[in-house]
Amino acid sequence: MKVLVQASRCQGHARCLAEGPDVFVLNDLGYNSTDVEDVPAHLAGQARRGVLACPEMALTLVED
Amino acid sequence: MTNQSVASQPPEGAPVVDFDLSTHNTMAVANSKWAELRSRTPVAWSDDNGGAWIVSSYDLVSDAFRNWEAFRSGRDVRTIPGPGGSPNLLPINAVPAQTTALMIPEELDPPLWQPYRRVFAELLSPRGVEKLRPRVEYWVTKYLDDVIESGRCDIVETLTSGVPGAVVLEWLGFREDEWHRLGAAFHNMSAFVPGSATADHHMAELEWAFDRIKEEVTAVREKPRDDLTSFLANVQVGGERTSYEFATGMVNMAMSGGVDTTTSVASAAFVHMHYHPEVRRRLIDEPELIDSAIEEFLRMYPPARTHGRTVVEDTELGGYMLRKDDRIIISEVSACHDETAFPDADEFVIDRFPNRHVAFGVGSHRCPGSHLARAMFKEMLTQVLERIPDYSIVEEELQEYPNWTALGGWSTAPITFTPGTRRL
Repeated sequence: MKVLVQASRCQGHARCLAEGPDVFVLNDLGYNSTDVEDVPAHLAGQARRGVLACPEMALTLVED
Repeated sequence: MTNQSVASQPPEGAPVVDFDLSTHNTMAVANSKWAELRSRTPVAWSDDNGGAWIVSSYDLVSDAFRNWEAFRSGRDVRTIPGPGGSPNLLPINAVPAQTTALMIPEELDPPLWQPYRRVFAELLSPRGVEKLRPRVEYWVTKYLDDVIESGRCDIVETLTSGVPGAVVLEWLGFREDEWHRLGAAFHNMSAFVPGSATADHHMAELEWAFDRIKEEVTAVREKPRDDLTSFLANVQVGGERTSYEFATGMVNMAMSGGVDTTTSVASAAFVHMHYHPEVRRRLIDEPELIDSAIEEFLRMYPPARTHGRTVVEDTELGGYMLRKDDRIIISEVSACHDETAFPDADEFVIDRFPNRHVAFGVGSHRCPGSHLARAMFKEMLTQVLERIPDYSIVEEELQEYPNWTALGGWSTAPITFTPGTRRL
């Protein structure tokens, strides 16, 4: 499973981080800088909730 | 206030409605009017409020907020005749339009917006807010300590207005003996119909607050201190120190964005839990639900209810052609109650998920203080539920803001509770 970030849509709401603290990474300005090739299976739930929580629809989940 | 924007002619083919925001004098009235409008047409034209389009559905509100290229925030794109016929630049975020102090970066559009937004984004990122958390905890503890042995207080004055005021004004470096007056200036101004005698009185207090900001900015540009005002007043943009005007605009923004916005939603939450004891009971029994409850309180009671923009080029929205120079009112509160986006939108669903509300706006002007707001709101909620869990509102003394145009909230909310013990 992968998480794709559309950086131009991210506005720093940080809802992904609230739902997926072990998956999502923010930069110093609070915008999403997640760069994960493979979300480990045990973090799939966090990744899914983080994607769903984004009010900008900036995140996409690509299931294997 | 004397400034009125120039009413535009209704555009051809537009659904024309009567929708005078100044008549939204209670939350119930306002919310039902928004619901009626939304079900009739998500984009409408009204000659009220100076003549403007009104956007009310979740999808179109989100689209409009994101389309900064067509719908501008900068006051340079719309003017009205001022005294003597000279142009009077309008802050077009304001609903209704009125001339007030400059807010930076809220009133900038890209590319000028970008460096100023970066300043606030970094200060108020989730990591930045962690540095303020001890002060948030301290002020909530201290202000509850001050009243906890008495069994009675106004929760607005003590906590929901007091705490954001203390956190923000301490950070800005204003003297503690001025906090109450500064906080009240913003709290009271939010609450009254522009043009009314009461609002004119509070307008004078607000002018005083903005004058104090100018004095402080002048002082710290000469001799910086170790505080946020000094940082903002001397910030480097594009290799040189920002102008006095923009420095003042940033401090205006930090103060007015900080002191009476979290107040609105936190007060609403305490009022809500008085009338819905089952919500309070669940949060006491299952404190892990507090984070999702916070999002639901924000959705039900967004502090900023509307924002304005100006159309800079003919643009289609929801099937209608918005014309260059038209004014547009975008409703966060209506979007947050849109059934098509939120099933059972009028119900408080404590664990609603997903909850992609727009209480902080969406798009480039998303409230940069949202993470600090959540931190203050959570600490207030947590300590109230721990320390005065049986609080009860004195219903006959509860007072709403008499106007719910741009900001909603409670002017006062006296409570009684079983006295507790101080922590400090």
